[in-house]
Amino acid sequence: MARLRSRAFAAGLVLALLALIVLAPMAGLLNLSAIPGYEPGDLRFWESAYIRRVLFFSVWQALLSMLCSVLPAILVARAFASQADFPLRALLLRLFALPLVVPAVVAVMGVVSVYGSGGWLSLGRSLYGINGILLAHVFFNLPLAVRLLLPQWQTIPAHHWQLGKQLGMNAWQRWRFLEWPALREALPGVMLLVFMLCLTSFAVVLTLGGGPQSTTLEVAIYQSLRFDFDPARAVVLALLQLSICTLVAITTLRLQRLPEVEITIASFSKPVTGRRKWLDTMLILTSGVFVGMPLLSMLIDALGGPLWQVIGTAGFWRAVVTTLFIGLFAALFSVAAGWFLLQYSATLSLAGKTGKANLVDLAGSIVYVVPPLVIGSGLFVLLSPHFDVFAWVYPIVIAINALMGLPFVIRSLGPALRQNHARYHYLCQSLALQGWSRFRHLEWPLLRRPLGLAVALVAALAMGDLGVIALFGTPHSATLPLLIYQQLGAYMIPQATVTALLLLVLSLSVFWYLERVIGGKVDA
Amino acid sequence: MFRVLRFSGGTLLALVLSFAAQAATPTLVVYTYDSFTSEWGPGPQVKAAFEAKCSCSLELVGLEDGVSMLNRLKLEGSNTRADLLLGIDTSLTADARASGLFEAHRITLPELSLPQPWQDDMFLPYDYGYFAFVYNKERLDNPPTSLRQLVADEAGPTILVQDPRTSTPGLGLLLWMKKVFGDESDEAWARLSKRIVTVSKGWSEAYGLFLKGEADMVLSYTTSPAYHLIAEQDSRFAAARFSEGHYQQIEVAGLVRASQQKQLARDFLEFMLSDGFQSIIPTTNWMYPANLPRTKLPADFGNLIDPSPALLLSDELVTSKRKAWVDDWLEVMSR
Repeated sequence: MARLRSRAFAAGLVLALLALIVLAPMAGLLNLSAIPGYEPGDLRFWESAYIRRVLFFSVWQALLSMLCSVLPAILVARAFASQADFPLRALLLRLFALPLVVPAVVAVMGVVSVYGSGGWLSLGRSLYGINGILLAHVFFNLPLAVRLLLPQWQTIPAHHWQLGKQLGMNAWQRWRFLEWPALREALPGVMLLVFMLCLTSFAVVLTLGGGPQSTTLEVAIYQSLRFDFDPARAVVLALLQLSICTLVAITTLRLQRLPEVEITIASFSKPVTGRRKWLDTMLILTSGVFVGMPLLSMLIDALGGPLWQVIGTAGFWRAVVTTLFIGLFAALFSVAAGWFLLQYSATLSLAGKTGKANLVDLAGSIVYVVPPLVIGSGLFVLLSPHFDVFAWVYPIVIAINALMGLPFVIRSLGPALRQNHARYHYLCQSLALQGWSRFRHLEWPLLRRPLGLAVALVAALAMGDLGVIALFGTPHSATLPLLIYQQLGAYMIPQATVTALLLLVLSLSVFWYLERVIGGKVDA
Repeated sequence: MFRVLRFSGGTLLALVLSFAAQAATPTLVVYTYDSFTSEWGPGPQVKAAFEAKCSCSLELVGLEDGVSMLNRLKLEGSNTRADLLLGIDTSLTADARASGLFEAHRITLPELSLPQPWQDDMFLPYDYGYFAFVYNKERLDNPPTSLRQLVADEAGPTILVQDPRTSTPGLGLLLWMKKVFGDESDEAWARLSKRIVTVSKGWSEAYGLFLKGEADMVLSYTTSPAYHLIAEQDSRFAAARFSEGHYQQIEVAGLVRASQQKQLARDFLEFMLSDGFQSIIPTTNWMYPANLPRTKLPADFGNLIDPSPALLLSDELVTSKRKAWVDDWLEVMSR
């Protein structure tokens, strides 16, 4: 019982911190009567035809993008799971972590290189509209969903497969009775995450959407806070965005069934052969080509660019150091916070309080959809009267990036941690194994692989972030994404392409290194 | 023992002295936009040139753009560290003046090189430019010669523009259309929209797509070809000259009322209008300096189109109508 209480305390602390970082700035913005010349506009947003249209479009494109990313991702993940000795499998899976770090503006260029009017698979002008939005969102999210769903196949115990074989199950029955139940634990969370990522998409939707008919709620929030300078309206719209995600979370959770956890963890995957192998190969290759093409076009552009000129500047190396610094610290804090939340939700789940456990996970995930612009502006209002915010730019940027990384930690680490807890909690209790020794002897060896994925994901994500750092200004040093943006803004497009490639190489190395060092040598 | 004491005493004294020296060097904080502070922007040269004569330290804080700076200042109010804002343009000056956050510059103006006389007691211009549609001469043989022709010709070139809600050139085109078409600008937008390939978030996306060949023309500046000419020795690009004239953007700086070092800030404003600052602008910010004779511009600036007459709506009008005009634009473009 004391154990539960201390876990509740740690998780409570994290939740309180989250609430403070998210809600306090919003309250600060709502309470802005002191600003000269500021009169809050009409907050009854539901009376505005514009907001209604924006709302409808945001949800529609996000749902569509989510389905187009997650459904194929299930098939591709299944193919990867069945073909454990596919050549270059490990490399392909690392490649799948890359789209996550590509800054939106660079990804747009990559997508246009492939599908634009001069591209390899030209769609001409019909690219601009829902086609372009979907292509870019699937490029970003399909690989992510594959990475997050794939570990679920490893949780299927070996004797289930054997049983299936003895019962003479066909492929459909194996899917229905073995694989689908294992998937159901992770699927709602992955769907929610992808939905959130697409809902808050901004530059991609605006630029590839063809015009203002493709406006998302995120654009409307940005518009309220910047262009119209109406912070109260921005907060109300951010809350609206938050409620939509809560609704989607509740809906997707209906899909969830937590599988019974069994003591045996031996899982095996005998490579499937025959026609299924051919199909799997096609799936893996198609998805690899789809993800690889925009990246390849960036590589080709960059190799023709002024590589030495970019590498030769001191600013580039300063940006590398700043980027690494922000990425690694954000990952550290994000994973630490996620760890405490997940421990508590696993404890709750074992005690049969699944609803409460889901609530804790949801609280950690959903903060993602509060736009950094809202959090950042609110923090300014709250903090600038008391101390020099500039001196704190890096801690603030790291904190917000850690916050934005939290849903990725919860998705990549959550299912494994819950199962591990269910499997060994009572054993640990009878052995009085707790605290640090429990972590060292039990949790670390068994959870280091998902832990490695979580750290690597958040580090990569924070390294590719532009929104947060751009918001606070750069008194000292830019990050690589900001450097890319500065180059693009100064006509230096060839230089920006080279910097983007170097950012990708750096992220890939960090991702590979973290996954290897933390996750151990076994491949995913 | 004594030696140790004397030594630490000496160190302490040195420390105190160095702190005192630091305190004696004031720091002037200027909020500006990101591309001003970047390595290849005007920032590094401006900093070096000003610090060489002011016995102070100049801190340039790069924010996203003019709108961000002004909003940041509004949010911080009297707690701001900023002494100056450098980089808002004439579509924002009325709003900035109404915020009450700025103070008169009280500087006697020299004869500026702007095409029109400048009378603003609060904001001082440092450079200006004109919006224009830029094209690749190898791709487009007969560019339109007026905004009316661009709009009317249904077989005309495809274009890339920016969103007025998120981008300065985007807002510039909206005002340009308003200036030329007046009450008929909604119809003009409806006609034009068929040839707009996409409306991007910012200038960078649109220009990048243009260089990838996604459209015949892109909304940019008359000075854009100068970059390709001077920095890349590439003469393929040109701006199309429109007979109605080109909408103008004037970038200004203003003195923050809450500043504790107004004298130093005024020194900077004086410096901003001197040759030392003005001659840095053309090939770093790629705009026309506000106070530099034509003869001192780089030779390649002579090959650029003559954008006259300069079109500009009053800042008061822009501030009062901007929201309504953007709403109209959204309505037309979302049809």
